[in-house]
Amino acid sequence: MKKSAFWLVSVMLIMSLFLAACSKETGTEKPEEKKEDDKKAAEIKPGGKVTFGYTQPFKGVLSYAYYEGQDDVNALQFMHEGLIATNDELQPEPNLAEWEFNEDNTVVTFKLKQGVKWHDGHELTAEDMEYAWYLIADPTYEGARFSNVAMIKGAQEYHDGKADKIEGIKLIDDYTIEVSVIEAQVNLLDNIWSIPEPKHYYGDISSKELPDSDQVRKNPIGVGPFKVKNIVAGEMIEFERYDDYWQGPAHLDGVVYKIIDGSLAQGLLQNGEIDVMLAPSDQWPQIKELANINPVTIDALSYSYIGIDQGRYDTKAKKVVMDNPKFSNKKLRHAMAHAIDRQAFVDAFRNGLGKPLNVPFPSVSWAKIDDSQINQYEYDPEKAKALLDEAGYKDVDGDGFREDPEGNPFTINFDAMAGTETAEARAQFVIQSWQEVGLNAKLNGGSLKDFNLFYDTIEADDPSVETFHGAWGLAADPDPAGIWLSTDKWNMWRWANEKSDELIKKGVQFPEDTSKDVTEYRKEVYAEWQKLVNDELPVIFFEQREDAWAINKRVGGVKVTPFNVDEFHLWHIVE
Amino acid sequence: MLQYTIRRLIGMIPIIFLISVVVFSLAKLMPGDALSGKIDPLNSDPEYIESMREKMGLNDPIHTQYLRWMGGVVQGDFGDSFVHKRSVMELVGDRLPNTVILGISALIITYFLAFLMGRFSGRYAYSFGDYLISGFNYLALAIPSFVAALVAIYIFSIHLQWVPASGSIGSGVEPGTFEYFLSKAKHTILPALVLGAMATASYTQFLRNDMIESSRKDYVRTARAKGTKESTIYNKHILRNSVIPIVTLLGFDIASIFGGAIITETIFTYPGIGYLFVESVNARDYSVMMAIAMMLTILTLIGNLVADILYGLVDPRIRLS
Repeated sequence: MKKSAFWLVSVMLIMSLFLAACSKETGTEKPEEKKEDDKKAAEIKPGGKVTFGYTQPFKGVLSYAYYEGQDDVNALQFMHEGLIATNDELQPEPNLAEWEFNEDNTVVTFKLKQGVKWHDGHELTAEDMEYAWYLIADPTYEGARFSNVAMIKGAQEYHDGKADKIEGIKLIDDYTIEVSVIEAQVNLLDNIWSIPEPKHYYGDISSKELPDSDQVRKNPIGVGPFKVKNIVAGEMIEFERYDDYWQGPAHLDGVVYKIIDGSLAQGLLQNGEIDVMLAPSDQWPQIKELANINPVTIDALSYSYIGIDQGRYDTKAKKVVMDNPKFSNKKLRHAMAHAIDRQAFVDAFRNGLGKPLNVPFPSVSWAKIDDSQINQYEYDPEKAKALLDEAGYKDVDGDGFREDPEGNPFTINFDAMAGTETAEARAQFVIQSWQEVGLNAKLNGGSLKDFNLFYDTIEADDPSVETFHGAWGLAADPDPAGIWLSTDKWNMWRWANEKSDELIKKGVQFPEDTSKDVTEYRKEVYAEWQKLVNDELPVIFFEQREDAWAINKRVGGVKVTPFNVDEFHLWHIVE
Repeated sequence: MLQYTIRRLIGMIPIIFLISVVVFSLAKLMPGDALSGKIDPLNSDPEYIESMREKMGLNDPIHTQYLRWMGGVVQGDFGDSFVHKRSVMELVGDRLPNTVILGISALIITYFLAFLMGRFSGRYAYSFGDYLISGFNYLALAIPSFVAALVAIYIFSIHLQWVPASGSIGSGVEPGTFEYFLSKAKHTILPALVLGAMATASYTQFLRNDMIESSRKDYVRTARAKGTKESTIYNKHILRNSVIPIVTLLGFDIASIFGGAIITETIFTYPGIGYLFVESVNARDYSVMMAIAMMLTILTLIGNLVADILYGLVDPRIRLS
């Protein structure tokens, strides 16, 4: 009997795949983003508890300076905040502090709000911010955040143990702190570390020992709307309202952060064990139909792409060398993009949660170029075939697959990550799309690679790697440096282009004409850069994602952002 | 007996050493390490990853890494977890109580059910009930535990809402109170039932076969000839003798109590050793992974020894020398 139930489930899964594929033409309905109605806000009754679910166990490193993954951020977000927040336009806005730049933008002065209190009653002072920078720049610091303080003058010297103070930090008074940076950056506020740490509370614990201390693991404190009440390792964190929160006490009595197995998401949302969670995309069609759930979807800042490897990274010279001419023909790359029906892929494998994109900026980013100005690479196998013919890739020996312009056999190795149930089918979708236009594509090594092996082989420039399906998440600031410069080791597609480098660097400089609005100026620079990558197509931009949030109808006031949820102090129980 | 135990303990040393080599090599053969795939230019950079690899000694020759690890293990230090940023011993110690509670509850359920079913099957061998029991046993053995767990959660947690579906403790309960104990029991019962009830096959069949065999022994015939009641024969004479092999199985179960149930713990989000193990393998958190593997190795060896000693204790015919 169990077997037949299982069989039934598989048949239904397959059928839903077909249905999803068919619904392509009608267009996917997008539920309106739920907005907080004002009239309700007036009569909010305080009290109640909300459970926030997540599918990966948390590590319990409850300090922003040390945490590693989303699992810990999900807990930290309820209990702590930084000086700077990100607004709906993905631009920095004041939170715990206001700031002011000097004339040449090399010195920034933060002015902290007065009366903000840590959960133990101590007031937040500028010293706590200074302390956080010192913790991260410490020679014994083992976290990953040093790059967020490296721009401060003298931080590198302190990190290397050559100086006993960070030259660029100047404490003016209890609420004012001045930071000098090595050079002016337009996106300094996005990059610089801005989350204070409680100096009085951590005491003399060294930067190396902090992540394992009780102050971080068992009784962490912050300045956020909720304070930690109880931690059950790897399983659950209970928060209770912090009455002295600087924006006024939260409506809820408490929040429970609970870890669950992803396969149970639907059931637990249904029976109310979980109130708010980022729904797994494979269960979304069922979850959004649940009677007690408000489904909310929002464009995320992430996308997937198919990288086309064009060279290697020279670790000595520290730059990308484009020495693999196999894919250097632009028409070939364009044809490979035209051959894939990306919308069908999104509908079938992500239940419609996403859409194709053609530049490395998802549509929520303010820097995204208008679609009318770029090539859309719509699905058109005939055009792909014509492009290949033009480029000289023709089937000479009549085996159904094209040969390269010299008449030698032409094959494409494709790599994809294992891990989800549909991973194999997704990879086959891409491979078959290429085969349909006569490109002999196959899975590299005959199988999918697990996450670690996937990135290890690509990073090591393994000669078998030719194309690979990767994914990428962006921060609020659109600066593409880090993965797109020809000097970046994480430029996985090994694409070097002088014009591109020049534009990327220009994008973080202040405009020469100082009267010009910085954001407008950057938009122009990035538009030019997007046109370039859109035309050169070093990677086939695949699909941008949509996050699907399931929120129980009894919970109101939940603000969904491209990163996560927000405005925790306004969450409340709707009667 | 003491001499025998000491001899066996000394004999374990080379085995543990050999296994440590295997565990270490297998761990290192896995592609990637805790730092691979951590590509995030906003929060780190390639230099940081390189310097961390250097700091953690991942760039050293393999034998140096092994000797460094083994040096620590001999002193009882399994190093630090990169992912959890704390000592492995503490981490394992944190999870152990959960696993032990779950393991013991599951074992009690297994023994209890197996005892009842085995006794019935042994006494009424080849009856309809016997076939029903062995049918259930083999079905339970054949059903993958994740299917059993999901079905159980669907029925008892989501549909009937008798017990919670995940976690090892409810929210808002004070440790030490009766409520806390109750919440713990409520959270443990379902995974324990899934683990325990699905694993009865071998115990039941052991007991059944031994009882059938004993019932043909001469002393049973004598008892029957004396006119002893049939129920007394089965419950006193046969059962006592047949329980002996089951008791010795207890030794082998030691490792399984501490080892945790990887799949069941994961599905129920029951934070024990098995859950930690899977998590560590996925994150390539070598130190944790190797520590758990070594712990299980040693426990299995000790379990074997305990089984042998128990055997000698309960069965006077066996001399340990």
